[in-house]
Amino acid sequence: MEAQPSLLSRTTGKYRVSVVIDRCKECGICIFVCPIKVLVKSSVLNKYGYHPPDPVNIDKCIGCRLCEYNCPDFAIYVEKVV
Amino acid sequence: MAVTRQIHPLDKHLRLERIPTLYCPGCGLGIALGALLRALDKRISEGAINPDKVLWVGGIGCSSRMVFYVNYDAAHVIHGRAIPFALGAVLANPDLLAIVTGGDGDIAGIGGNHLIHAARRNIDMIVLMFTNFVYAMTGGQVAPTTPRGVSTTTTPRGNPEYPVNAVKLVGSLNANYVARASVTTPHYIEQFFYKALGMRGFRFIEVVSTCPEIYGRHIGLRDPVEMYSELRKRIKYKHKPSLEEAEIDWERGIVIGEFVERSNPSLIEILKGVRS
Ligand SMILES: Cc1ncc(C[n+]2csc(CCOP(=O)(O)OP(=O)(O)O)c2C)c(N)n1
Ligand code: SF4
Ligand code: SF4
Ligand code: SF4
Ligand SMILES: [Mg+2]
Repeated sequence: MEAQPSLLSRTTGKYRVSVVIDRCKECGICIFVCPIKVLVKSSVLNKYGYHPPDPVNIDKCIGCRLCEYNCPDFAIYVEKVV
Repeated sequence: MAVTRQIHPLDKHLRLERIPTLYCPGCGLGIALGALLRALDKRISEGAINPDKVLWVGGIGCSSRMVFYVNYDAAHVIHGRAIPFALGAVLANPDLLAIVTGGDGDIAGIGGNHLIHAARRNIDMIVLMFTNFVYAMTGGQVAPTTPRGVSTTTTPRGNPEYPVNAVKLVGSLNANYVARASVTTPHYIEQFFYKALGMRGFRFIEVVSTCPEIYGRHIGLRDPVEMYSELRKRIKYKHKPSLEEAEIDWERGIVIGEFVERSNPSLIEILKGVRS
């Protein structure tokens, strides 16, 4: 049983972008739709053999949630940091 | 083992033990499902919909399989027969909100006659048809929506037939709502479904979807991002477009928007005697 799903999560300033590592299928759509190019394919290998994205440029994120709304696998979401 | 703890904002609407879905990487159906669940979540949190009265019904195919992933009462029935199943459910219990999901093959092909008569009778249900231009689950056979000239598994020299246009067909009947969105515009899927959830009678939303694995292979767009981007370029939103503008033409573009909005009496309203 998986108790703690592993997240690839980055926060700075206003937003936190989190990737549920084992849900990602490496389709690349989030990376493509992000208008600021916050996301980059990581070298992390999930249990199905896919490389999830990493929000490396999180400091530039505008919180538009296009990555979340266009991910087909409920694998990435954005939160406002208060 | 699936990630079963709720973390993503939509997780409470999903059967997490069935996530990840069986869908291929980058399949547009998952994008559409997310948009639908956001609209439903909004209606539920506004108190307009009781989640215990929601019934999802799907036939057979990748699109129909969506009902397998939602954390609601759901029926996975035989190919093309989701509409009559939903009709039986709402006649037996008119308080139910029936949401039918299906592919272009399931809804417009195999179940095409049910679609026509459900629209004609303005039966209280929402039908979501996902157009990926082929019978995807079974390997990409020609569908009634396949554009002319496209080679599929069963039309290796190009499809010689003319496709059916479901928006025009349903719009010409007695449906209260007919709209089209695309998986490349999830905000419109959410907006149109939110509106449909607040209406009565027959509500039809066509969602143009991407199937990189099967249709993409046939048309040279095997890469999910490439297929998404090529579809996105062709999608044009119009405010209240006419049914003539519903023509699907890959070269000239695909118009999305709300084609028909009516408030005709629904079948349940007529049977209850509240409208005639
Ligand atoms: C009566 C019957 N005929 C044929 C099939 C085989 N079959 C399973 S899925 C499918 C295609 C579904 O295509 P569509 O509705 O467009 O859904 P998609 O997979 O493209 O989302 C077919 C023909 C079946 N299951 N039952
Ligand atoms: S919220 Fe917008 S800007 Fe931020 S990572 Fe997602 S797509 Fe990029
Ligand atoms: S869109 Fe979702 S599944 Fe695709 S690469 Fe991004 S996080 Fe992974
Ligand atoms: S075959 Fe096509 S429609 Fe079915 S899951 Fe794969 S990409 Fe999606
Ligand atoms: Mg199909």
